[in-house]
Amino acid sequence: MNSILQANDISFSWGENHVLKGLDLDIGENELISILGVNGAGKSTLLKCLNRILTPQSGKIQVSSKDVFSLSLLELSKLMSYVPQSVRSSFSMDVFDVVLLGRRPHISWRINDNDRDKVSETLRILKLEDFAFRRFDQLSGGERQRVIIAKAVAQDPKIFLLDEPTSDLDLKSQIEIMKSLRTLVSDSESPKSALVAIHDINIAARFSDRILLLHDGQIISQGTPKEVLTTENIAKVFGVTSEVEIFSPSEAEETEVYSPSVRVIIKDEISDDASLSEKSVDKFHHGRSKSTETK
Amino acid sequence: MDSLSKQHIEKGKHQIFLVTILSISTILLAIFALGQGSSTNLDMWTTMRIILGLESGSELQSDIIWQLRFPRILMAIIGGIALATAGALMQGCLGNPLVSPLTLGVASGAALGAAFAIVLGFTIVNRPELGIVANAFLFSLVVVYIIIQLGNFRSISAESYILVGIAITFIAGAIVSTMQYFATDAQLSQLAHWSFGSLSRPEMENVVFIGFIVIILLPQALIWSWDLNALSLGGDDFAISTGVDPATIRRNILVLSALMTSVVIAFTGLIGFVGLAAPHMARQIVGNDFRKLIPCSAVFGAFLMLFADTLGRTLFAPIVIPVGIMLSVIGGPFFMYLLLKGRGVKS
Repeated sequence: MNSILQANDISFSWGENHVLKGLDLDIGENELISILGVNGAGKSTLLKCLNRILTPQSGKIQVSSKDVFSLSLLELSKLMSYVPQSVRSSFSMDVFDVVLLGRRPHISWRINDNDRDKVSETLRILKLEDFAFRRFDQLSGGERQRVIIAKAVAQDPKIFLLDEPTSDLDLKSQIEIMKSLRTLVSDSESPKSALVAIHDINIAARFSDRILLLHDGQIISQGTPKEVLTTENIAKVFGVTSEVEIFSPSEAEETEVYSPSVRVIIKDEISDDASLSEKSVDKFHHGRSKSTETK
Repeated sequence: MDSLSKQHIEKGKHQIFLVTILSISTILLAIFALGQGSSTNLDMWTTMRIILGLESGSELQSDIIWQLRFPRILMAIIGGIALATAGALMQGCLGNPLVSPLTLGVASGAALGAAFAIVLGFTIVNRPELGIVANAFLFSLVVVYIIIQLGNFRSISAESYILVGIAITFIAGAIVSTMQYFATDAQLSQLAHWSFGSLSRPEMENVVFIGFIVIILLPQALIWSWDLNALSLGGDDFAISTGVDPATIRRNILVLSALMTSVVIAFTGLIGFVGLAAPHMARQIVGNDFRKLIPCSAVFGAFLMLFADTLGRTLFAPIVIPVGIMLSVIGGPFFMYLLLKGRGVKS
């Protein structure tokens, strides 16, 4: 597997608050990777460090074998596109023009027909053609989110960094967006990857090649959804009890286009104050719930 | 070509058409204004023939048009272009629709410079006709220097620029007030007159100088329009992801806008409203795409300034009402109408 993004020993802190503590990351071509973790675990900070919105105190980040800190922001934006959690602004533009901003790293000043066509194509892929000439600020939160994702797609980068892209979306739109991302990432002609900070464990399980579990500024587990989403990990990171269903590949493929290999059913919070400690995990294991495995 | 792409091109053409109509209206208004005044009123056709040299007119008519009215009308156009462009740029890079070219304290710096000249007799340039202007310009440049220095602080936000601007306004205002407290009646009157904002002060050579500076700065503003689009729509994180360095671009744009503002108000006195209103009026036609918004704001600025000044000269002739006052009196209600039109009223 060719590596698109490599990050080594990334540390970041706000004063005395150490948010990221020496993270290592390796993203290959055509990979969709989800980052899971509680609020404040460092998911957004990690994405912002990778895109140079924040400057880590230490560490090295390479995209397509180029050091991100030696690139200009314009060169970096051709390789990487960051989608923030939300975009709220006092000024507005037509949706078409917002998505056209994605072409900005590739053009000098004048836009040509190819750039316009690229925008039109992106709008169609993300089912936004009906909104093309509506004002961005008159859209709902979910629609705005899709427009910003469309802008990132029109930017044609090697890697997408998405900060909770489904947080403002209804259930159908969540699936649509993740399917669109999955399709983009799976396109072998133009290798792209995506790193997605997300809260919904089952969406992550269904669409991700790999999951990173971020806890207290460190990656405590990474691998396929099946490897990472265990009751122990979920209890340790989220402080909740759960049941994890594991599907065999054949059963999963019959039911859905993007087949989850695992499904997590959240049961209850671990009420103990020391919920994140090993003690509570043990208690949870032996007492309240069980892990089920189908087939 | 894709149908959406075609629609985008068509929409752009329609917007350019509207801006062209507005530009032509401004030129026609300028010709009309050249013929109007307290001493001699000429119809547009005669005025145009005199301008083009097809009709000589009387010597008096020719002198009034070329010596008196032409510099003033050119100043209205150039001043309107400069202040409106500066307003659009500053609103965009600070992400705030309430910002005007006077927000950063440039005008307060200029007023302080003028007060030093008028009240204390302290002038940097030792020529009576240029004393106040030079003071106003150099003091406003001090504010531009403060803006540049602010840009060197790490993570300086748009709000910080605005707050420092407000602080500068208060400080300069306090010093000016102190000087006013000790000033003579004549000095007070002169200072008040300066602060009204008038297009009658600049001589033709001043107007050419201002025009030269504005023409040099305008293309640079247009070059930054993509960066402004990213910055004004989505803020700093979004801009970085689009390949724009928000801190650098914001500082550069603020310095350019402050320079444009300084060079105009040093000669004319305080004219603020056009820089706030013209960009918002332009947005009603072309939206917030700065590639179109900058030229459209410039044209709106020129039109508004010219319209207000012509009205100020002719409404109560031979009394001339300063353009700064006229702009606020007629522009204010029109501006409010534009902002509120189309919005339903709560039942």
